[in-house]
Amino acid sequence: MSAVVVGAAPGKVGAPEALAGIFWARFVRHRPAVISALMIALLGLASIFAGAIAMRDPLRIDMSHKFAPPLAKGHLLGADELGRDVLSRLLHAGRISLTVGFAAMAVTVIVGAVLGTLAGYVRGAVDTVLLRLTDAMLSFPPIFMLLALAAFVRPSLASMTVIIAVTSWMDVTRMVRGQILTLREQEFVTGARGLGASGARIMARHLLPNTVGIIAVAATLSVARAILLESYISFLGYGIQPPLASWGNMLNNAQSYFATAPWVAIFPGVMITLAVTSFNFLGDGLRDALDPRHVRSRS
Amino acid sequence: MIDFDARPDDLRSTSRSLSRREILGLLAATGAGVMLTPIVRSGAVRAAETPRKGGQIVVALSQEPTVFNPVRPHIEVDRGVHFGLFDSLWRVDEKAQFLPNLAMEMPTVKNGGIQKNGLEYLVKLRKGVKWHDGKPFTSKDVKFTHELIMNPKFGAYSKVGHDQVASVETPDESTVRIRLKEPFAPFMTAWGDTYIVPAHILEGVADPNTAEFNTKSPIGTGPFKLGGRVAGDHLLLVANPGYHMGAPALERVIFKYIPDLTVLYTQFKGGAVDVTGMQGISSEFYSEAKSLPGVIIHPHYSPSVEYIYFNHGDPRFKERAVRQALYYAMDKKAIIDQVYYGLPKPVEGYLPPTSWAYNGELPKHEYNPDKAKQILEEAGWKAGSDGVRAKGGVRLSFTNATTAGNKLREQTQALVQQNWKAIGVDMQITNMPAAVIWGEYYVKSKFETLLVGIQASVGDDPDCLNRIHSKYIAAKTGSGRNVSQYENPTVDKLLEDGVREIDRAKRRAIYLKLQEVIRTDLAYLPIFSYVRIEGVKQGIVNYVPNSNTLTNTWNMHEWGWKA
Amino acid sequence: MGVEGLKQYFARRVIQAVVVLGLVSLAGFSLLHLAPGGPAAIYALSPTMSAEDLDRITHELGLDRPIHVQYLSWAKGFLSGNWGRSYRDGRVVLEVIADRVPATVVLMLSAFSVALLLGLASGIVSAVRQYSLFDHLATLGAMVALSIPTFWLGLMAIYVFSELLHTLPPGNIGTVGAPFALADRLRHLILPAGTLGVVMVATWSRYTRAAMLDVIGEDYIRTARAKGVTQGRVILRHALRNALIPLVTLAGLQLPLVFSGALVTETIFTWPGMGRLFVDSIGYRDYPVLMGILVLTATLVILGNLVADLVYAAIDPRVRHS
Repeated sequence: MSAVVVGAAPGKVGAPEALAGIFWARFVRHRPAVISALMIALLGLASIFAGAIAMRDPLRIDMSHKFAPPLAKGHLLGADELGRDVLSRLLHAGRISLTVGFAAMAVTVIVGAVLGTLAGYVRGAVDTVLLRLTDAMLSFPPIFMLLALAAFVRPSLASMTVIIAVTSWMDVTRMVRGQILTLREQEFVTGARGLGASGARIMARHLLPNTVGIIAVAATLSVARAILLESYISFLGYGIQPPLASWGNMLNNAQSYFATAPWVAIFPGVMITLAVTSFNFLGDGLRDALDPRHVRSRS
Repeated sequence: MIDFDARPDDLRSTSRSLSRREILGLLAATGAGVMLTPIVRSGAVRAAETPRKGGQIVVALSQEPTVFNPVRPHIEVDRGVHFGLFDSLWRVDEKAQFLPNLAMEMPTVKNGGIQKNGLEYLVKLRKGVKWHDGKPFTSKDVKFTHELIMNPKFGAYSKVGHDQVASVETPDESTVRIRLKEPFAPFMTAWGDTYIVPAHILEGVADPNTAEFNTKSPIGTGPFKLGGRVAGDHLLLVANPGYHMGAPALERVIFKYIPDLTVLYTQFKGGAVDVTGMQGISSEFYSEAKSLPGVIIHPHYSPSVEYIYFNHGDPRFKERAVRQALYYAMDKKAIIDQVYYGLPKPVEGYLPPTSWAYNGELPKHEYNPDKAKQILEEAGWKAGSDGVRAKGGVRLSFTNATTAGNKLREQTQALVQQNWKAIGVDMQITNMPAAVIWGEYYVKSKFETLLVGIQASVGDDPDCLNRIHSKYIAAKTGSGRNVSQYENPTVDKLLEDGVREIDRAKRRAIYLKLQEVIRTDLAYLPIFSYVRIEGVKQGIVNYVPNSNTLTNTWNMHEWGWKA
Repeated sequence: MGVEGLKQYFARRVIQAVVVLGLVSLAGFSLLHLAPGGPAAIYALSPTMSAEDLDRITHELGLDRPIHVQYLSWAKGFLSGNWGRSYRDGRVVLEVIADRVPATVVLMLSAFSVALLLGLASGIVSAVRQYSLFDHLATLGAMVALSIPTFWLGLMAIYVFSELLHTLPPGNIGTVGAPFALADRLRHLILPAGTLGVVMVATWSRYTRAAMLDVIGEDYIRTARAKGVTQGRVILRHALRNALIPLVTLAGLQLPLVFSGALVTETIFTWPGMGRLFVDSIGYRDYPVLMGILVLTATLVILGNLVADLVYAAIDPRVRHS
């Protein structure tokens, strides 16, 4: 998505505490975002305490429980094709999917912020090169890129994270660049330059902190995207490999069983939708809180 | 439904099969035949039912056939189409008998077809056979096909059976004399898989590698002609009324491409598909498929056997004790019963139970984890603090790889991993996409262990020299397919004797011994012989599953709908 | 300024587009060739193949040459219209891809048109009746639609409509083996186009709403209302027309996402399009076909961006200097 929010209120940069207060006030007015934040916290806790909640080993095979329906034989959400407990697999898969989501987000955000700041501040040749590079990457349809990459490497948590990050940094770069372009003309920057501050110092101490808002929005949305992408690749068979469970590969295994054991296929899909929706709403809420007027600017 | 449990015994008596071949030959020569129907005009002794004229059959394939030239590199689904478009000199039926196809009769020692103890084959060709474009088929075409395969500028698929040929002569239009460099027993089988291409079309072409013939306009002598193609969707074959073995009853055969096996099964269930091609129906649907109205399910052996392959280049696997222990600790029955619903048959060797050389007397597998632990203890593999056994600083922790996305194999790996964990062996699952795992990782022996299904040889021939002879370790010598790097001089000698011996009875003895040696040494861990579950709509006649061919369209010229 | 500035901008962007295309092809090529596995792997398990045969096939495909040699040879051929031949069957790559394009185009256009109509309608209503129940439901619906994995939606759709209700076919472009019939083709188009379109409806709906809200607050709208223009005309003639401009850029930018969605949809619904070709070619490591598809889609995406940029530049002169 290339809609960009011009972060700080137009005009001047006010005192940080006052801004934070305004930000929070706007945020809590956005009800879906608040609900989503709670949902995410819940999912996070459930993943961390997956072992305690589920009380069953997600890898334990018991063929006598094969395809047990929900509420049968002690499986709250049923059992899969190897008799493994769906609920515990779901929670442990959540761990994997959320970890990939957050890790990919971290890499995406770091790369995007650095490149975006460089491009936006330094401008000139560096900017042109980075812009064209970004454009080139954006011209690869994401799934094509993902599939090509995933089919060629040994799938693992780390490789998934890298692959997803590689296809996601571009949006963050553009958003940050747009923000930097606006900020660099402002008084505090020209003032710092006049005082002899080096480019690096300006970028690190003055510009970057003011992009936190944008980055937060971008980060949230990128987690959503990452979870979705991970599920796509795992579904196609190139992502997280069994017996480790991720929401995506649980669906891959399950598509043959729709007719016989639909619960195996329905629950992971519901979880993905729930998680991704929450992150999307959260990102929306953050964006609204930063600036209620959506201003679209093309970099 | 074919009761396949009866068949292994049926095939044991090879002397009967030899004389049957000669009967076949005689019948072909006189043009008469027992139980013949107008469909199969010459040679085949099979109780073919007479279908009604007309109609179409839709065969579903999970990969798309796009290579129409049978001597170019191709995959199994392409072969399925070749069966319809082309002929070879002879074919192998479900009873491992050779059926003459373009040959008038099978060459035997008795009728002078095999001379000089297997160094020379004199083949009499059928007369009056025409190509799809009307031109006559002659011995020139057979010679041309061989020369094309051997042509260094042509990218042929495989040269097995042709490498060993010294010369192909054409004394007259319907006779071919093939001279070999040395006797090569799998010759018959190899040429059974060699489909004849037209000299008059391909010899004039600038580059046979890129000829339109290969992908757009194949011309064969087969029962069907290419009718049309919708890329990515289906292939249409129309009947060849002038087919030399009688025009097929069907008007059309459609090969439909459905990439996903689950979707394939769903469409078969729904009636859109008449025959589930090649990979058939996945085991997990068997119980449901069995009870579907209006279809017949044929479970039958395919020539592949599922193994756990070891890389003997790794010193841990060089120890027989380790291999034995791993075999004892593996619950084969659980894999077969729980993952594959009890369909495949456990085997102890590399041949399926339907093979004429199958050794049914091999020592049976015993699931005994305690014995496994004992063997390892005695061999000096003691459990470490992490529960994994080690000896001299080397841990029994290794990877096992198979094609990523193969659900049944993944389940098997999960079971085996659990089995082996119980005896202190740590197995790590590292699956990869097919194009990666079967590349250098496999061919150049870069793996530790694999879960793999292998078909030892083409057709019914038990030869597997290439796969287990010590001279053929590609990682060391660059040639061959002994990817497990197994070296055993006794096995080497047996393999070499096996390809040189022409007499089937004597050959059988050699291969029985070979299976015994391999089993005692446990070069690899055999699990089961594949069962392909093929679904066919009720009302289709003459559908005969054949373990000796790669795919089930081998006799599509006989197919039809009930009259 | 004016036309001259626009022409210069156009020229600059075209040159940049060409450079980007070159980068894309180079990156794609390197990626494919440096990765493990290769096209000979599909033959590796076959009983009649030996290691020499596999090596021979690899050599015949030219894959043992140094990678820069391979790239230059490919690029030279590509620029002169020779996109190479498929490793799988030796067919000319242009032909292989061209055979599959129509199916994808049909799918994408149908999904696009339906999504456009529904999305615009929903967005307009949401904007006009901001904060109403419809608006809230539409926003929630759009958000969920954007968050559902398309393949899961497709599988559920097949399960519900085909296996449970038996009203729609589970896939394919038409009834197998039957002659062409428009009604039959349309029936088979409903589920795949619908699944593909769901995400697009959501995006269009949200952007239309946002764009309309922007425009509705503007002065000239209030002026129009003050002049007594009816609500309907205000919306359609004034607001929508101006809101459409940023939406055009959106259309251009949606292209890569639509291709991606099409790929997954084609897999689930057995649709014989380019997406399916891409997945199959990855399995076969059919590099020439993969490169062909890559460059083709990249070109279309870049063109889409270029058109969007040009439209924007024509309206907003400031953009021309970026």
